Amino acid sequence: MAVPVEEAIAALSTFSLEDDQPDFQGLNILLSTERQATVSPIEYADVSAYRLSLVEDTKAINQLNSLTVEGKEMSAVLYTYRSCVKALPQLPESMKQSQADLYLETYQVLDLEMSRLREIQRWQASAASKLAADMQRFSRPERRLNGPTTTHIWSILKLLDVLVALDHLKNAKASIPNDFSWYKRTFTQVSAQWQDTDSMRDELDDLQIFLSTRWAILLNLQVEMFRVNNMEDILQILLLFCVETLELDFTLLFPERHALLRVLPVLVVLAAASEKDSDSLFKRVKINRLVSIFKNDPVIPAFPDLHLSPAAMLKELAMYFQKFSSQTRLLALPAPHEILPREAQEYQKHYLIVNHIGAIRTEHDDFAVRFASALNQIVLLKQSDASDSEWCREVKGNMYDVVVEGVQLLSKWTGRIWEQCAWKFSHPCKDIFPQEHETSTSFSDYEKVVRWNYSPEERKALVELVSYIKSVGSMMQRCDTIIADALWETIHGEVQDFVQNRLAIMLRTTFRKKKDLSRILSDMRTLSADWMSNTANPEVELPSVQHPGEDGNGNNFHPRAVAPTAAQVHCLQFLIHELVSGGNLRKSSGLFGSSGLDIPPSELKLLESFFHKLSFFLHVMDYTATIATLTDLGFLWFREFYLETSRVIQFPIECSLPWMLVDHVIESQDRGLLESVLIPFDIYCDSAQHALTALKQRFLYDEIEAEVDLCFDQLVFKVSENIFTYYKSCAASKLLDPSFIFASDNADKYYVPPIRFDSIFQMRRMKLLGRTIDLRSLIAHRMNKLFRENLDFLFERFETQDLCAVVELQQLVDVLQLAHKLLSEELLLDSFPLILKEMQENISLVSFSSRVSSQILTEIQNDLLPNFVLCNTTQRFIRLRKSHQSQKPQLPLVKLSFYCGSQELNAAYQGFAQLYSEFFGLPHMCSITKLLGSRSIPWLIRGLLDLLTTKIASLEPKLSVLQGSLPKSIGLLPYDGGIPGCVKFVQEHLHWASKSDLRSEILNVLKEVGIIICLMGLLDIALKEAETAQFMQIAPWLGLIPGNDGQIQQALTESGHSPMVDLFKSITSAIISSPRCPSTTSFATLSKQAEAADLFYRNNLHTGSVLEYSLAFISAELDKYQSKWNATPKTGFIDITTAKDFYRLFSGLQLGYLEEYSQETLNKSEVLGDSVAWGGCTIIYLLGQQMHFELFDFSYQLLNVAEVESVAVAHYTSSERAKSASYLQGWDKLIDGAKKARRLNNHVFSMLKARCPLEEKMACAIKQSGAPLHRVKYENTISAFETLPQKGA
Amino acid sequence: MARAGGITNAVNVGIAVQADWENREFISNMSLNVRRLFEFLIQFEATTKSKLAALNEKLDVLERRLEVLEVQVSTASANPSVFS
Repeated sequence: MAVPVEEAIAALSTFSLEDDQPDFQGLNILLSTERQATVSPIEYADVSAYRLSLVEDTKAINQLNSLTVEGKEMSAVLYTYRSCVKALPQLPESMKQSQADLYLETYQVLDLEMSRLREIQRWQASAASKLAADMQRFSRPERRLNGPTTTHIWSILKLLDVLVALDHLKNAKASIPNDFSWYKRTFTQVSAQWQDTDSMRDELDDLQIFLSTRWAILLNLQVEMFRVNNMEDILQILLLFCVETLELDFTLLFPERHALLRVLPVLVVLAAASEKDSDSLFKRVKINRLVSIFKNDPVIPAFPDLHLSPAAMLKELAMYFQKFSSQTRLLALPAPHEILPREAQEYQKHYLIVNHIGAIRTEHDDFAVRFASALNQIVLLKQSDASDSEWCREVKGNMYDVVVEGVQLLSKWTGRIWEQCAWKFSHPCKDIFPQEHETSTSFSDYEKVVRWNYSPEERKALVELVSYIKSVGSMMQRCDTIIADALWETIHGEVQDFVQNRLAIMLRTTFRKKKDLSRILSDMRTLSADWMSNTANPEVELPSVQHPGEDGNGNNFHPRAVAPTAAQVHCLQFLIHELVSGGNLRKSSGLFGSSGLDIPPSELKLLESFFHKLSFFLHVMDYTATIATLTDLGFLWFREFYLETSRVIQFPIECSLPWMLVDHVIESQDRGLLESVLIPFDIYCDSAQHALTALKQRFLYDEIEAEVDLCFDQLVFKVSENIFTYYKSCAASKLLDPSFIFASDNADKYYVPPIRFDSIFQMRRMKLLGRTIDLRSLIAHRMNKLFRENLDFLFERFETQDLCAVVELQQLVDVLQLAHKLLSEELLLDSFPLILKEMQENISLVSFSSRVSSQILTEIQNDLLPNFVLCNTTQRFIRLRKSHQSQKPQLPLVKLSFYCGSQELNAAYQGFAQLYSEFFGLPHMCSITKLLGSRSIPWLIRGLLDLLTTKIASLEPKLSVLQGSLPKSIGLLPYDGGIPGCVKFVQEHLHWASKSDLRSEILNVLKEVGIIICLMGLLDIALKEAETAQFMQIAPWLGLIPGNDGQIQQALTESGHSPMVDLFKSITSAIISSPRCPSTTSFATLSKQAEAADLFYRNNLHTGSVLEYSLAFISAELDKYQSKWNATPKTGFIDITTAKDFYRLFSGLQLGYLEEYSQETLNKSEVLGDSVAWGGCTIIYLLGQQMHFELFDFSYQLLNVAEVESVAVAHYTSSERAKSASYLQGWDKLIDGAKKARRLNNHVFSMLKARCPLEEKMACAIKQSGAPLHRVKYENTISAFETLPQKGA
Repeated sequence: MARAGGITNAVNVGIAVQADWENREFISNMSLNVRRLFEFLIQFEATTKSKLAALNEKLDVLERRLEVLEVQVSTASANPSVFS
């Protein structure tokens, strides 16, 4: 069952292969069916089929080409040669006896390396003689061979280039002679025992001469060449060819251009140094032409990290070629370091990409648009199946033109990068401004030429250009299979048009009379015309001059999607060359100059343009390979020469150009460059490819791989950091108070401009050294980690601060949470609650404490209780003294991103946090409830209540001491003594002066009890706030509406459900009834769950009050001490004088404190604040002693006395008033204090009455007999305490 | 004219060239289609990799969530008394 290939392939396109990954990278996979079609894949074996007597020429071409290939391998060996001597071990003293063994081993190791050098020596000798022989064949006065063809000339030049390159490498590598001398030494040692070493010794000497002579290869070549005379001819032809091609500069891609530039000085030297006078040379090639070429390119890229300079080369070679030294004009050219500063500026302008990037950008944009539109047209054409051949040809021709333009652009751009590199290498940075943290003042040469030699603008331009090259390359490569046939068709069309139409015209007109020339023309037709595709001539018609079917309008041949072979192009070029030169290559005016033959200029022009087109056809036919060559930027990494001179094994990645570019993109925060961040990694891919396939050195690949690994880790790290910082600052900026921003003078600094990271997030399969990497998942992993680290840091920071920092903590956690939310829109991250739980360490189902909650409790216990005092008016706790705890560890400095991202935002947030850092109040409590959530709040409450229990328990023994020292009886204060009398009375009766420590201890405990109660109050408010907010949210769902009496009423729907249940029920029924419903059960669950939620939220509506609960708890706790602190009087009546109840003790303590306070004997740290009243009064109230206290409290009695007195004073005469005023003077502070205390106590009592009413029970606390029942047990539901989590849990 | 002669048997060469064109048309057609096939495979691979990566990402998150749940369950089952 045969399916036509086209149909099968077309069927593939019906698969939908969407892939949302953007193209951030260059080419990855190349499949080329051609093996570099610029040279024939079958080594021109088919040339002979055309019977053009080019056998010898073809043979020579193949020989030269294979020599070139070998030579390239040789130069790879030399380029990557690294000194072995450096790695040789030294023997310790103890092992000196085995020195001989070491010599032998060393010899064997070095012998392997030296054998390679020997091989190079042999090869260059044979290559030189073969090249010379080849050239001689064409330089005889009477040439008997066809050729040299253009291809042949190119082969010669390329081989020459390789030889020169080898010579350069040999000159530049100092480690080679070094290794050799070591080798020779070991050889002398080792060979002592050997016999018959003379031949080896000779060989060694030979090699030594070869290695130590500069330009040995070139000199040898010259000797080989000038064995016979008449070499000048061919040299001049080559020279002329070089100069003309360079001047024309149309068909050249950059590698060829550079090769010509490299060969040219050598050719000049060789030609000028020949025996004959060099005048004939300069007659044919005007010296000005040479000078202008040399001046145009003062530095030429040769190796990745070594440039050549024609001027310097000429100068150096002049020493070796005496004849040449007379060419003063050429020798006067300045070498790169001799260029005058002003000229250098000019050159710099030319060489630096940064000066051209604007134009390049325009070219790129323009080209991208035109390429896309040409491609679209091709696609349209394919779909439309158009029969309009004119339009067809136009579209395809347009495509071809655009492709040619693209290839030229790529060549130009990549060439620019090469040239900039060469320029940079020739002009190392002179003044280095190292970064602060690098103190070392000496920098290696490589750092001078690369690391410090590129300004930020230059780096930016380079990144941009590299990404243009890579993106245009991959854009062109990607549509290879779409446009390939169009390209072939166009080329075929061009060739056929030329040979079938143009040549036909020429044959009939110009060449009619010239038998020889017309024969060449008909040969051209024979070897390339495709008559079958000519629709006008369906039968095979023999191509001949007298072909009748051709008229002046030309043939309409049917297009065929086949390009001519390399051999055909080769032959055509040869024939055109033949035709134009008339077989005489020694024309002085160049190839297409004014001809000695009488070919009209128009036809000459035609021939010329076709000739050049032909050479470009090869590049276009070789689409994939051409693009691969032109987009290969691997050279940016290699630095073998500098490694050798710097005596290091490898440079750090900061010196590596690709990483410098990546780093620049990341560090510069340039939003436009961000998408190019992965492009420099393509350079590494190219380098690795080059190391493996061209240099064939595993160790280089390993080094590149290691560097890529490192760089990639760095990239992920840095990019993640950037992303995190960006999202953090976005979140922080969004959370800033809008009114604050509105009021701020400079609100712009809080604005975070958007950055597009989403394209990086799309990179699910990044290609790197043949590996596929899921960059997105790596970033996501890193983000998960960063969020955890950040939370950890925030908690750690909170742990080093006091409780007041809880507001700041909550703010920062909020920022982090919002950042998480924003980032979750792009990446799949762990949910924030999960991360929070993990970092709070309360994942366990059975534990309710968390890192923050236990920290809060510890802080309350150790810092807030002892060191803070309550201010009742503001309901805030204020720090009284510094914490006694040991110094908390200082936090290490961390990144800005762990706070709010940017400096400005941090400052703003710190300003806010500062406001809350000096006290503890409601905002802090709100933050605590938010941070702990419903999970840990009960735990905290339980912890506080446990604390309360221990505090009250600790009161008991202390109070019993005071109870013991109470007098037997103490009655009401006597009025007659006035205030001083009262005070004296109390002091006399209460012998507590000696127990001041005990007293202050008790007061402190009461203060702490009071603080805890106040905290509960605050917590109550904070929780109610949250609860109200929640209520507002759920009310409409549960159908809660205000009823008539102001109570909550539930408005149910007709079916008796709440609105939410009803809604979900109707949704479910609607879906289930629909015929397309996939599964009914899952939707039934949906409505069940709505019911459950309804139940859950309704039951949660009326939660109790924390404060009331705590009061009940304290009351239950106090029951234990009922007998001691609230003794039932034996008489059954109120006991006034002998009471040792709690209120009496508190009275005494309060008065004592008031006295001390009024006499200002307290120092600041002993002030207790308002919470003592809270503690004392709560206990009194809960013991049911409020009335007793209000009746019998000493300070209250004192105030009564003072009141009576002041009334009396009002009746006094003025003189007495003055007296009594002074008499009262000493006491008014005490009176004021007592008044304040009474007010405060009243406040507390009224609050307690409101929150924990006891009246009802008090009211029934009168026995039937009329005797009062002193204490009514206030029922607490003890089981409620059991439900609170245990503190230890 | 120093040329050592042109095509000696032009007719035969012309026929051969003609045949060559046709053969090569077939060859280039085949090679082009092979390349298209190859391109399809590359694209298929890329798409598959992308989709697998997306799947992998989801599985990753699920796996981590599952781990947490396992830990939670283990804490619960380690303290059966709390629930009885």
